[in-house]
Amino acid sequence: MATQHSKAAARLMIAPAVIVLLLWMIVPLVLTLYFSTLRYNLLMPGGTPFVGMENYQYFFTDPAFTTALVNTLLLVGGVLLITIIGGTLLALLLDQPMFGQGIVRLLVIAPFFVMPTVSALVWKNMFMNPVNGLFAHLARLIGIQPFDFLAVAPLASIILIVAWQWLPFATLILLTAMQSLDSEQIEAAEMDGAGALSRFFYIVVPHLSRAATVVILIQTIFLLSIFAEILVTTAGGPGVASTNLTYLVYIQSLLQFDVGLGSAGGVVAIILANIVAIFLMRMIGKNLDA
Amino acid sequence: MISKRTLLGSAVGFGLVAGLSTSAMADTITVATVNNGDMIRMQQLSPQWEKETGHTIEWVVLEENTLRQRVTQDIATKGGQFDVMTIGTYEVPIWAKQDWLVPLENMPDGYDADDILPSIAGGLSVDGTLYAAPFYGESSMVMYRTDLMEKAGMEMPDEPTWTDIAKAAEAMHDGENEIYGICLRGKPGWGENTAFLTTMANSFGARWFDMDWKPQFDSPEWKESFTTYLDLMNKYGPPGAASNGFNENLSLFQQGKCGMWIDATVAASFVTNPDDSQVADSVGFTLAPNKEGVEKRANWLWAWSLAIPAGTDAEQAAKDFVAWATSKDYTEIVAEKEGWANVPPGTRTSLYENQDYLDAAPFAKMTLQSIELADPTSPTVEEVPYTGVQFVAIPEFQGIGTAVGQALSAALAGQSSAEEALAQAQSITQREMSRAGYGK
Amino acid sequence: MARSVTRSRKIVNTTIAWAIGLIIFFPILWTVLTSFKTEAEAISSPPSFLFFDWTFQNYEAVQERSNYFRHFWNSVVISVGSTILGLAIAVPAAWAMAFVPGKQTKNILMWMLSTKMLPAVGVLVPIYLLFRDMGLLDTRTGLVAVLMLINLPIIVWMLYTYFKEIPGEILEAARMDGATLRSEVTYVLLPMAVPGIASTMLLNIILAWNEAFWTLNLTAANAAPLTAFIASYSSPEGLFYAKLSAASTMAIAPILIMGWFSQKQLVRGLTFGAVK
Repeated sequence: MATQHSKAAARLMIAPAVIVLLLWMIVPLVLTLYFSTLRYNLLMPGGTPFVGMENYQYFFTDPAFTTALVNTLLLVGGVLLITIIGGTLLALLLDQPMFGQGIVRLLVIAPFFVMPTVSALVWKNMFMNPVNGLFAHLARLIGIQPFDFLAVAPLASIILIVAWQWLPFATLILLTAMQSLDSEQIEAAEMDGAGALSRFFYIVVPHLSRAATVVILIQTIFLLSIFAEILVTTAGGPGVASTNLTYLVYIQSLLQFDVGLGSAGGVVAIILANIVAIFLMRMIGKNLDA
Repeated sequence: MISKRTLLGSAVGFGLVAGLSTSAMADTITVATVNNGDMIRMQQLSPQWEKETGHTIEWVVLEENTLRQRVTQDIATKGGQFDVMTIGTYEVPIWAKQDWLVPLENMPDGYDADDILPSIAGGLSVDGTLYAAPFYGESSMVMYRTDLMEKAGMEMPDEPTWTDIAKAAEAMHDGENEIYGICLRGKPGWGENTAFLTTMANSFGARWFDMDWKPQFDSPEWKESFTTYLDLMNKYGPPGAASNGFNENLSLFQQGKCGMWIDATVAASFVTNPDDSQVADSVGFTLAPNKEGVEKRANWLWAWSLAIPAGTDAEQAAKDFVAWATSKDYTEIVAEKEGWANVPPGTRTSLYENQDYLDAAPFAKMTLQSIELADPTSPTVEEVPYTGVQFVAIPEFQGIGTAVGQALSAALAGQSSAEEALAQAQSITQREMSRAGYGK
Repeated sequence: MARSVTRSRKIVNTTIAWAIGLIIFFPILWTVLTSFKTEAEAISSPPSFLFFDWTFQNYEAVQERSNYFRHFWNSVVISVGSTILGLAIAVPAAWAMAFVPGKQTKNILMWMLSTKMLPAVGVLVPIYLLFRDMGLLDTRTGLVAVLMLINLPIIVWMLYTYFKEIPGEILEAARMDGATLRSEVTYVLLPMAVPGIASTMLLNIILAWNEAFWTLNLTAANAAPLTAFIASYSSPEGLFYAKLSAASTMAIAPILIMGWFSQKQLVRGLTFGAVK
């Protein structure tokens, strides 16, 4: 049904979306690229001389750069791991017959509606604080030394907070996928004497792989730019233990107001994000007949 | 963002009230401020000013770091979002030199600018011109639990040394019962742990830079100062100290979990307020310590101040508000409503001559003494090319100070040694300074 | 579904599921509970769970200090506005991509998603300068535009996957029966597309409601939504857990309640074509 006429119409329909996004991408990108070649600090007005690649050189030699890169990957990987595995198990559980299923589902999806800043503030102050947090109270109740989450295991704590926020999303998508699973197929396998585990790994897991891909793609997009949670909880520390690339760029462009350096960092972050994106899209392309 | 209503327009809307307004224009000003208690109070009292002048205020109240980033970004890009900004002694001289601020000359009659404490006024002026009006000023001092000291059979000296502090901390420390000998800042940030550690280093005779802008973290003084800090905190500090800033320590102290706390003098009114503090009756104050024989003490100087960005389109209304909020009259309004102990401290000489205030605020004398002792123009034992006690008044310091704070905080969290942390601080600072072109 | 489940199995399931559900929900519950405590009670050790003097003083304090309704209304306008604008642009695009796919369709889609990778912190200063020059700082219009742009790729993609599920044969069949284009759209396509659009709309309202970087940095007093409201309660001087909890509850309650009521619609389209 794709006539010439409808093709032209289709182009017309797609055009607005493409144009606004193109503008949204190109304008900041061009400005960022341009700024990244200048010595430009907002706090020091005056000339903004062209300095070539100096900002890039500075950004790459920043002692925090490698750590930030590794932390970015750990953060994305850690949260994905927890949410995919946790989400699958939860979906499996919620798929079972039980009393009050609807309410349990409401409880499980609730964290998805919480603002990242709020959830970071709540976790940091009311749970992880080693003196007044609930975990500290519990630790003292059973007579052990409270654990100082954000100082001793900052990145792991942030992963936990972020995973809590994204677990509902993964669970929902995986649950929907699971519900579409043909129950006759499972029953047949059951008849054939397949155990619960092998039924899970040979029938359920393959069925869920497509949904899992979607979860990975969407979450990665959001997780690569995790920022608010870090700012609120650890401010990237102690040291640079929980600094990711986004946060590093933040330090340079909005704390030091070094627009030149921050822009260089921004460009690097865009490139890295797109490398990840290409990688992901290959994966999606294979798994998702888009 | 400034919506100007003509007198006619407002008269239609507000009837007689607007008719009483003395100014021809009723302006709306946007005031950006920090969510600290004194500022919240200002916000709550401001309708009085609005009623008197016919102007309207839009409040933007943000957490300190967010606010700082927000207003810096706005003033540096000339975004024009705010008519009054709450900034500190660090920003004022730097911004004033860039011509970003409206000089506060010709303040309304009765403002009495000469009444402002000289050290505070000095920190907010460039070439003798005031660029921001101090809302409250602070130094730092030792706050300690008199009951615990008594129990330990000790007495706090008037001019303690770090050795005295360590002894007192040891005597009061009772980890089993969650009473920690000493609480100090550990949360990274140039306005958090770096501020404290810088003053502590000053009191050991250390400095940030030598006269050639060469960073001095490799000096023996810094090392001694920092290891003393780590030693105190590791032995007698609360758990999680590496993420404790002013607020966290304030809560701890108010809950009776700190034997001693060296921090901002403004905290004195919070820890002695029986509504919030469980230890209100048993808090003593003394001067910030020094190392034996070092003439500088570990007390800083800071004033949260109200400034007007150049280019505002409601300059007169903004100036009028700034004058009102930092006036003697404002102090009296607060005293009337909340009691003398809760007035914004540390800005005016007259306050410290007011017997009502002195009676209500047992910490007044110590606050004044600490403020007067701090000298931003000569913060260190050895000569330095910069001004500022707990900061270095150069634009690069926010970034450097925070990165250094991160490195030092990591040592407190046990992730690196004192030597490693200082070496890191040295290289971070060196790198940033050479990028900024100092010492060439 | 002929599988019989024993009652005891069902009870075990119920117990485990409820336990896990409550653990996951607990931080929110705890925040709500804390918002009804006094500041002193909020940090008391051991913490009290339900048996404390319930008080509304924190809500009163928050209400006295901030203009909650104004922030709330800004949040509503910005999130709903950006979503509607986004849908207006995305529905035709996704429609065309799904029903008239070209060689480049997939690439365009992936490119759109990749624009979401633009790190906001790196481009804030350029955008701030642009907004300043266009007079969009601290306006809801500006925020609607930005939030629409950052969520547009997700909207397009969600709708695309949803529209693709609509079988082309139905259209053919409708045409065979002599349906006009108009009735084709009204009676066949719309009923099938509406659930997907509804779900997309809900998801985007949630994402926009919770966006905390642009909304905080591009606003001052007039257009500041609830994210800015929260920023005035995080770590002030002194005890703040109870007031922070009250403010947090006020900030998340509207979206949480909306999410709960519409979860069926939300879930239906959340699949991103993941279910076949």
